Amino acid sequence: MSDAAIRVEDVSYSYGDIEAVKGISFEVAPGEILGFLGPNGAGKSTTIKILTGQLTPKSGKAQVLGADVTTDDPAMQAQIGVCFEEKNLYESMSAQENLRFFASLFGLKDVDTAGLLARVGLADRAKDRVAKYSKGMRQRLMMARTLVNTPRVLFLDEPTDGLDPVSSQAIRKLIKQEAERGAAVLLTTHDMFEADELSDRVAFLNEGALYALDTPESLKLAHGKRSVKVRFRDSDGINERTISLENASAGEELKEAVGAAGLMTIHTEEASLENIFIEMTGRGLEG
Amino acid sequence: MNRPVSRFSIIASIVRKDLAEYGRDRLWAFLTIMVLVVVIVLFWLLPDNVNESIRVGVSGLDDSSVLTALESAEEEGLLLVPFATAADLEAVVAGDVAALEPDQAGTTVGIAFPDDFLAATTRGDATTVTVYVDAAVPDEIQLAITGLVSELAFAVAGDELPVSTPGPDEVFVVLGEDRVGSQASARDSFRPLLVFLVLLMEMFIMASLIAKEIQERTVTALLITPASVGDVLAAKGIVGALSGMAQAIVVLVAINALTSQPLLILTLMLFGAVMVSGTAMLAGSTGKDFMGTLFSGMLFMIPLMIPAFAALFPGTASAWIRAIPSYPLVQGLINVSTFGEGWAETLPELGVLFVWCVGLFALGWMVLKRKVQTL
Repeated sequence: MSDAAIRVEDVSYSYGDIEAVKGISFEVAPGEILGFLGPNGAGKSTTIKILTGQLTPKSGKAQVLGADVTTDDPAMQAQIGVCFEEKNLYESMSAQENLRFFASLFGLKDVDTAGLLARVGLADRAKDRVAKYSKGMRQRLMMARTLVNTPRVLFLDEPTDGLDPVSSQAIRKLIKQEAERGAAVLLTTHDMFEADELSDRVAFLNEGALYALDTPESLKLAHGKRSVKVRFRDSDGINERTISLENASAGEELKEAVGAAGLMTIHTEEASLENIFIEMTGRGLEG
Repeated sequence: MNRPVSRFSIIASIVRKDLAEYGRDRLWAFLTIMVLVVVIVLFWLLPDNVNESIRVGVSGLDDSSVLTALESAEEEGLLLVPFATAADLEAVVAGDVAALEPDQAGTTVGIAFPDDFLAATTRGDATTVTVYVDAAVPDEIQLAITGLVSELAFAVAGDELPVSTPGPDEVFVVLGEDRVGSQASARDSFRPLLVFLVLLMEMFIMASLIAKEIQERTVTALLITPASVGDVLAAKGIVGALSGMAQAIVVLVAINALTSQPLLILTLMLFGAVMVSGTAMLAGSTGKDFMGTLFSGMLFMIPLMIPAFAALFPGTASAWIRAIPSYPLVQGLINVSTFGEGWAETLPELGVLFVWCVGLFALGWMVLKRKVQTL
């Protein structure tokens, strides 16, 4: 991937004696969404901090848009957007003032703040002080702030964490739109459904190490069970039967099940990303 | 690609944002206005005159010629107050009664001459004069009164003082700054303290703004934009110095302290404002919450207040007080605003203050930078 927007090569970072990131390598192309999946403390936020210049890696090389992240390059900083896990907004200022202030730091004087706020559903609250906002509104404003400079690279740290389904869906839609525009997106989450829905590729991170990096489909195919669960009603009540697709007789068995009287439902038994994560790392995503 | 943004533009944006936040914080806005009003009102309520006279009660002298002889003593700061009897005099000096006549109030020293003082002295006979002294009167005043009585006796008798041969010339050496005849009034003495209070209030507000930026992690959001740590710190320093200076100017104008050497006073205040901005960076980076910031602010504030309090008392400050960073600011303000000194005389204070100002600002910058980088 020669035109990678984000390039990480064997990067490590430690907090004292604790190794937070252990020699990870990956790339993200323009227009691609890479989902960083891992439980709390896996090293997701530390990786974002390294890539946004907040932390200096102990070893390895990290580049964003071709610039070394340790050089504090203002030209690179002008083209990235970061949505932090913590809602670090200026509470005494309105949403509009927050956006205008951050736009001014990028040298942008005529940013369409109204349009940005409309995209996150805050147009009618533009002049309210952030102190009066709910958690979901703050998160949506965080996303709007992230997009204020039309960034080429987006770092999104748990952007939907703790949000209601409507707010989460709005933010996911926005992330997809940004990727379609051509922005490279590094999305950290411990929500497997979000990662599955949004990511072109996912990376499994656990205790600072990268366990897997592939498309969700490939991971599911490589690690999931290929089977179908059939539910039917007979004289004994409701019963289930699992048909393995690995068997040579799978076609016949499926045909028989579909034609049987009392058929209720048929489900594929595709592995979830969470199952694969647990299988590979030995721990869950919520830890 | 976005066009590059200048450092000046970034710093100006952060300064505007900080000033807006400052203005919207109701607590600090209220405290700022309250301190300004209290300081200005307090200044104008303080007395602006100096009473250096010692009220000396005199009894037993009906002869006006003797009183005339005593009048020379008034030139040396003694105010003579006649009393009818020695008993009255003793009662007033002892504090048993406030005063028998209005002008007798505040008499702390009394000289009771015997009825036959004039005749006995003229004859050359021994006589006894009783001197009543309040316990709080310093020893040197007691000695001076004793000398005055002897001098008076010689004058009444028509004799010269016992020392009639020419003695060695007296050389009067004043150790420290000689302020005889130009003592500061309470209003003048309080002026540096009041101005300094405004600067310290500014320090609290700045420290609070900095701590808030750290605690709420908004500084992290700033640092992933083209703004650098240096830009953020420069903006904080400018906001601190600007708001400190603005408030100090309001107070200086209101207390009539810019009538002489305004440029020199403003220079002193600018150095002072930068110094407290540095101190605010130190306090702001150590506080973990509002109370923590308040506590660390107090830790810095109390030592810095000492020279301003010391200025209320006459005499040269101790060496350790002179080593406190705020001392040259306070002393410089006194010298210029009270005694009308100019650039040349204030240069030592300006020099030391400049060194402290640069040192504390640099220290505050380093500590805050380290704090921000480790967030």
